[in-house]
Amino acid sequence: MQTVVDLTRCQGYAQCVFLAPEVFELHGEEGLLYATAVPEDQVERVRQAAAACPVQAILLGEGVSAGAR
Amino acid sequence: MASDTLLARITDYANRPDPYPLYAELREAGPAVRQADGSYLIGTYHEIVALLHDPRMSADPRSRTTPAPYNVTRQPPFLRLDDPEHHRLRNSAMRPFGPPHSPGRVDSMRGEIVQLTKELAEVFQEGRQIDVVDDFAYPLPVTVICRLLGIPHKDEQLFQGWTDILVAAADIGPESDTADREQAADQARQEMGQYLVQLGEQRRGRPTGDMLSDLVNEPDAAVRLSTEDLAINTILLFIAGHETTVNLVTNGVLTLLRQPDQLHRLREDPGLLPRAVEELLRYEPPVHMRERVPLVDIDVAGTTIPGGTSVILALASGSRDPLRFSEPDRFDPTRPDNQHVGFGSGIHLCFGAPVARIEAEAALGALIPHLDTARLLQDPPPYRQNAMLRGPRHLPIQL
Repeated sequence: MQTVVDLTRCQGYAQCVFLAPEVFELHGEEGLLYATAVPEDQVERVRQAAAACPVQAILLGEGVSAGAR
Repeated sequence: MASDTLLARITDYANRPDPYPLYAELREAGPAVRQADGSYLIGTYHEIVALLHDPRMSADPRSRTTPAPYNVTRQPPFLRLDDPEHHRLRNSAMRPFGPPHSPGRVDSMRGEIVQLTKELAEVFQEGRQIDVVDDFAYPLPVTVICRLLGIPHKDEQLFQGWTDILVAAADIGPESDTADREQAADQARQEMGQYLVQLGEQRRGRPTGDMLSDLVNEPDAAVRLSTEDLAINTILLFIAGHETTVNLVTNGVLTLLRQPDQLHRLREDPGLLPRAVEELLRYEPPVHMRERVPLVDIDVAGTTIPGGTSVILALASGSRDPLRFSEPDRFDPTRPDNQHVGFGSGIHLCFGAPVARIEAEAALGALIPHLDTARLLQDPPPYRQNAMLRGPRHLPIQL
């Protein structure tokens, strides 16, 4: 699975960081860092993070394996 | 009926099972609808979101210049404070709870939450009668918030008593303005605060891996909470940390039992659960209304609301606004565009939302396989009094 965050929408609510802290990380109070290739064991957490985003900024590419770039 | 009686009708207990037609009437009459008592009701999505993000809107009840039906002299928790005080206290409370300082805390509780839901789901056996609230939806979040904060299991009953009193006093509407209730709430608040401060004292220098320990052992004196702030805000964390989740889980079971096709769909495809929880937060949210107070006269879609007036934002109505959501009265776990306001929006966005989401997903995931032959024994079920924090008091089902 691949993930992309639309950073023009992101408002730093950090719900994704709570729900998938190995994929999403806060840099300082609001800056978001994230892994574009989602490891297999994090897919469910990322799906929950995407659903939870209050501004729906997280896009998921299902069916793309973590190895693909 | 006259639109200036809408708040009175919404808070009327007789309408607790189904306030949604009243919200539709509110949106028709809106966006800003003056009530007989001088307050304003807002029920349309875009106006609600704009006001939740408007720095001229105060969350502090002490900003009211019109008489309030409740005690507004005491210091509120950060839920009802404005920046910069709100930001200072919320940040201090966030340090042991979430990112950037504690990003893994909530995630690390997943295992025990799933385990707990499995244990509680054991009573769901074919042929039995269950009260979803007392047997499942209540014990789950209470146990989780006690573990998170570090409150001993043996004292849960004590906390339940205080919580019931404080939640009853936090309601709005003409039925709630009694002096007795305020007095009982003040006493409960004092006792509960004292208990939490003493528990914190025991943990000072002897941390036990919970939020209370981290709060009292915060090394940076600039962000460490004073004794008074600790009492006021840990009471908030405890109550807000479970009360609404009870309703979310119960509303979830109720919604799925009313719509067997959706129950079946989720049973077949558990991958839909995260989105089903979001749809539930839109369709049957635990928090129906929040109060704000404009600091100056503000214009809402052509209506001037005077500064100092009580403004009730009907979040549950906003999440059903047809101008924002297509087929808003349909429960659809695959809804593609679901920017609901179930957790609010802006600087006061629900502090505990991630915990609630994990609890709700684990709860529904554990229960759905047991609900195939279940039926509601009472529909609508008996509701709790509170109109703002709305949910069933009991949900008896036959398995």
